[in-house]
Amino acid sequence: MLSYVAVGMPCGVLAAKAGMDPLMNFVLGLTFLTGSGQFMMSNLLLAGIPIGSVVASVCAISTRFSLYSASLAPYLQHFGKPQALAISCTYSEEAYGISLGKLAEGGNWTWRHALLLNLTVQFTWAISCALGAALGSVVDIPTAIAGFAMTSLFVYLLCTQSHTAGNVCAMAGAAATVFICKCVGLTGVAVPLGALVGMGAGMASALLTHEGKKATTLDDATTSRGIAGSDNVAAFGNATRSNNALAPNSAAGSDNATASDSSTPDALALKEGDAQ
Amino acid sequence: MSITEFLVLWLCSFGFILFCRVAPVVVLRGRSLSPRVVDALGYIPPAAFAALVTNDLLSPNMFANGIWPGLMPCIASGVVVLVCWKTRSMLWCCVLGVVSYVLLSLI
Repeated sequence: MLSYVAVGMPCGVLAAKAGMDPLMNFVLGLTFLTGSGQFMMSNLLLAGIPIGSVVASVCAISTRFSLYSASLAPYLQHFGKPQALAISCTYSEEAYGISLGKLAEGGNWTWRHALLLNLTVQFTWAISCALGAALGSVVDIPTAIAGFAMTSLFVYLLCTQSHTAGNVCAMAGAAATVFICKCVGLTGVAVPLGALVGMGAGMASALLTHEGKKATTLDDATTSRGIAGSDNVAAFGNATRSNNALAPNSAAGSDNATASDSSTPDALALKEGDAQ
Repeated sequence: MSITEFLVLWLCSFGFILFCRVAPVVVLRGRSLSPRVVDALGYIPPAAFAALVTNDLLSPNMFANGIWPGLMPCIASGVVVLVCWKTRSMLWCCVLGVVSYVLLSLI
């Protein structure tokens, strides 16, 4: 949870510079749940980009949520429709990783646990953004410094992905595509296009090396759990990496493994905080 | 920013994001995904994060103001990688990333 405060406050500071007051930040934080979208929005507004283009850019980088929801969908069908929709409307990337791992483990992770976790994260993020905006309106913090908090978060999330050949190809393909897009002036679609090309590169690599087949074996799942990093936050890359309840274990790492002993999200959140 | 501008910005973006979140859950409810699709979905997180990092760090004119201003965020990101490797903590990565960025910008 402290991580949300650490990133949410710079996000609010940046938004304040773009002209948004704390209440606007709170509303955005409570409903958007995309830190990158909020950072991008502020950066583009500060750069004088028209509102229509800002909306298009934010929408473009938010398309990844449809992919997250698609991977979550098979597990949500065990719940009622309203509960499934509530979970899909409120997850953050981190809460998604935790819930996906728990649901795939097949334990007693109920919709109440998932929703409570989501809402806890949601309110922490929204309040942090609002506090950041309040701070940003009285203290002059350079935008580049505030913005680098988000970059640090992305670097962290990237580092905690497992380093399989397929993932490395996906990363390289995505990075190259983004750079090429920016070179030719397609900045607005660079991120989603990069993600799609990266996914294609990863798939191509898997086909060439038969990695997809290997990933379904228990040995590989155990190995990737070892590599996958500790924080439940980003290990969801592995969680979605292979179905059949193997990969979600990769979200275990250390923190999540500890948290899996807990039955409530509160305990989980507490352990997360402790781990931080 | 006026209230009207904010409402346009917020409601348009929120509506789209909500659609992206909800539509797959509704459409795929009661169906199982093929292993190949699941495999493909698994490559989205590393690809998306690589795209976001590249988007933040690299641009065609990153060295327009000199080599150091363009290189400095990359070095600060290197510090984040080291912190991540040592601590695996998101909080420390964010805090030390920003601190290293500030310190490097003073050079």
